Amino acid sequence: MKAFLYNIGYFFKEAWRIVRTNFLSNLFSVLGTGLILFLFGMVATGTMIGNELIDKLQKEAEISVYFSETISETEVSQLVDAMKTINGVWDARLVNEAEARSLMEEMLGEEANILELFEENPFAAFIEVRIHLDTMDTVLKEVRKLDGVEYVRDNRSVLMQLQGIINGLKILGSLIILAVGITTLIILSHMIRQGIYNNREQINTLRLLGAPESFIGFPFVMVGLLLTLLGGALAIAMITVLIRNGYRGIGIALAFVPLPTQQEVVMNISILVLAVSLLLGLLGSLFGLSSIGKGGK
Amino acid sequence: MIRANGVFLRYPDGTEALRNINVHIKPGEIVYITGPSGSGKTSLLKLLLGMEFPTQGTLEVMGNRMVKGNAGKINQLRRKIGPVFQEFKLIDGRTAFENVMMGMRFLGISPRRMKEEARNALIKVGLEDKMTSKVENLSWGQQQRVAIARAIARKPALILADEPTGNLDQENALNILKILHTVKDADTTVLITTHATHLIEGIEGATFLHVDNGYIHVERRGQ
Repeated sequence: MKAFLYNIGYFFKEAWRIVRTNFLSNLFSVLGTGLILFLFGMVATGTMIGNELIDKLQKEAEISVYFSETISETEVSQLVDAMKTINGVWDARLVNEAEARSLMEEMLGEEANILELFEENPFAAFIEVRIHLDTMDTVLKEVRKLDGVEYVRDNRSVLMQLQGIINGLKILGSLIILAVGITTLIILSHMIRQGIYNNREQINTLRLLGAPESFIGFPFVMVGLLLTLLGGALAIAMITVLIRNGYRGIGIALAFVPLPTQQEVVMNISILVLAVSLLLGLLGSLFGLSSIGKGGK
Repeated sequence: MIRANGVFLRYPDGTEALRNINVHIKPGEIVYITGPSGSGKTSLLKLLLGMEFPTQGTLEVMGNRMVKGNAGKINQLRRKIGPVFQEFKLIDGRTAFENVMMGMRFLGISPRRMKEEARNALIKVGLEDKMTSKVENLSWGQQQRVAIARAIARKPALILADEPTGNLDQENALNILKILHTVKDADTTVLITTHATHLIEGIEGATFLHVDNGYIHVERRGQ
């Protein structure tokens, strides 16, 4: 341990010398690792946002109840009150035609001018019913029984579709994580082996002088960590740029649900990518180091 | 320090490099191993450094039995040895000073003391003006001296010098031997292989191992 602490400066110099010796190859491996980690980061971002969406949608489950146009305003009010009494409903309110239109305008954002093509407001009034998701089946049954109710629209299909997408992303994510891990380990352990080969005479001399394997190997572990961390940093930079530019697009496509903040996503993904970089760097270096022959001759 | 009983070394191709070696070397001795090229001098040093292992007999160095498969112990033993290799084994791209430092980095010596020892060793071998020179830019004799400085800076209990005077002119060769003798004075056992017997003809107070065709004849002068 003492020898290790006395030589920290030496280890850094050695690591930098190893990188410099094969600079171009190392540069390309940083770029390669960066692109691989970028791919991983993007899948992780998709999964993270998707999970949050599902979570929020489940918490804010609501159904839209459309009623017969023939019933009076009083009857509509009675219908709203009746809904409020159903077990599992925690709020119900009337959304009139004008509000229905403005809600749609909000969802469509810049595309909302398409609504100007209609001479009259095409949206019907409905009752917005907020419910507990786990009671959806019984609530739907009860609501449909009420007089004047014509059609009930629940967002279960949307939720199911989203859940399907998220599950797909999770499977894809797992496959990508596996591919990223294996590819990074191969690239890195190859780079380390190359470094070892380039320094084989020095390694042999150090062994003959009695240097412990940990002393000989530590600069190579540092190189592995440096390469993956630089790759990770590159990936984070690309992901950040992409999230910043793409977030508005995602927001438009999924306007009906609130997305997690950009900062939150970038911060979480950065931590994740860095942690994965560190882990892969360490494992890749150790795999590479295992190729050093034993004993000095 | 070194105890060999009936040691044989046979290489995988069947060559018998050493035959029935029986030697006991005490701490602080200076030992010259002489003999023609290919007689087994380097093989003997390889055995002592754990680069090869006896195929028969027992060999102990500083109380450590030299047997294959004891890498950890061999490694620890090597830290107490100052080897000077025939082909120097200096690290290119580094200065003379850095090469000498390299031999001490894993010995638990503080950086300050390491630098002091490295400087002193280089001064001792007469390379005070070449400390910052890259070793590949030094002459053969200067590289030889860097290798010796690396060995003595470690303050080893045993120095194994393989042909340290090889390819040197008479004056440089005698200087090298003089340096190695001064180390011996500091209670370090020194083993030097040489085929240049004319350089050591008049030396007294040393042990001579004459190696011929794998056999060793021991001669002690003035002890």
